[in-house]
Amino acid sequence: MGFNFIYFYDSVRSGIEYLPNTFELTFIPILVGLCLGILIAVIRVYRIPFFAPLLAVLITLYQGIPLVVALMIYHLLFMAAFNNFAAVLHLSISMADINTIWIGIFALSLHATCYMEESIKGAFFSVDQGQYEAGYSVGLTRLQTLRRIIIPQVIPVALPMLTNNIVGTIKGSSIVMVIGITEVLAGSVIPASKTYAFFEGYIAAALIYWIFTILVEKFAMRIEKRGDKYRRNLV
Amino acid sequence: MVDLFDWDRFFTNIPQIVAYLPVTFKIVFYATLFGVILALLVAVIRIKKIPILHQVAGIYVSFMRGTPMLVQLLVVFYGIPIVMQQLFNINVNRWDKIIFVYITYILNQGAFLSEIFRCSILAIPTGQLEAAYSVGLTQFQAFRRIILPQAVRVAVPSFGSDFIGLFQNTSLAFLIGVVDIMGRAKTIGTATKHVLEAYVFIAIFFIIISLLVKGAFYLLDKKLAYGR
Repeated sequence: MGFNFIYFYDSVRSGIEYLPNTFELTFIPILVGLCLGILIAVIRVYRIPFFAPLLAVLITLYQGIPLVVALMIYHLLFMAAFNNFAAVLHLSISMADINTIWIGIFALSLHATCYMEESIKGAFFSVDQGQYEAGYSVGLTRLQTLRRIIIPQVIPVALPMLTNNIVGTIKGSSIVMVIGITEVLAGSVIPASKTYAFFEGYIAAALIYWIFTILVEKFAMRIEKRGDKYRRNLV
Repeated sequence: MVDLFDWDRFFTNIPQIVAYLPVTFKIVFYATLFGVILALLVAVIRIKKIPILHQVAGIYVSFMRGTPMLVQLLVVFYGIPIVMQQLFNINVNRWDKIIFVYITYILNQGAFLSEIFRCSILAIPTGQLEAAYSVGLTQFQAFRRIILPQAVRVAVPSFGSDFIGLFQNTSLAFLIGVVDIMGRAKTIGTATKHVLEAYVFIAIFFIIISLLVKGAFYLLDKKLAYGR
């Protein structure tokens, strides 16, 4: 009993070894979330018939599902149905060929999309309606107004919220441990399977996540400061 | 393949899972009740900048915000027995696992809510406080009658989304072996080899909860829109 620094050091090293997996589980969902989030937000802001209400309902419902539950369901469906699915499509791949990390990336991407869409939509609504009208009145097309007038004003508003979403995705990536993917959290306790130093292992994981999120927040703050330069005449 | 999802199993599962709903509600109840108390304490410490405590509170909030809930849960679950043994020589191996869940969720909510409270109190312009002092209110009166009613209004939307997040986070408790709805789903899975129906029901339950909480906070927000 007690805190053993040698075991702790081993755990930190083992956890850092699996950082690439956590990066993969964070960056791909963030990228997917940003692209789909912007697309869906624009659809909802412009109230495109049929798609806008449909996506609104889907996103509201999907946000209600906890990540663990979604992961469990996708994992089960994958295990039960993938081989049949591949057979139907005449694909010569089987379940064993696919890394389960993709299930985690899939689930995290959907969650990131939902949350980022909400942030981006909120930022769009913060831009005054008059800005659109002013854009049209000087003869800009819809796309030009969006690109030159609206989006430059959306970005600084959306950035702090997106930073929160990114930190949320980093933290969410620890949950994929439950379907057997080894990332920082699971990696940190690998040495503990021999030494039973689970406490040191989890503290090591906490430390790695903590540093990671602080770095992301610091970086985001620098970008936000740069954006503030162009907003000096506001406020 | 055909046997993947079956409505009969779905409906027989429902009462078995619903029986464990109180566990989830208890976690949310304790985490909110004690979380709010802890959060108020931390928020006051950070706003008044009480030396030493201020720095400790800052590190505590940063840690809770910067690490995943699951990691916090596991650190508490493995750490508290060691700390109690070393410092107080108390053996906590007999403690119910749910106690560790309560401790984690209270600590987590304390940090998140303290940030919400702190930001909403700081969002009130200083002029409001000065105006209150100028008409002769004491510091406490000014806080209770002028600052608090306005701060609550600012805090309600963030509190609502935090509350939904808390409900969703309770689904992690089964990972340290607590039998809540997720834990029950897992045991149903081990017993019957069919667990998809149980997870689908849990997903529906969480969706309904999030819609209800969103609706309730929307109404509350509307009700608090006085003076606008």
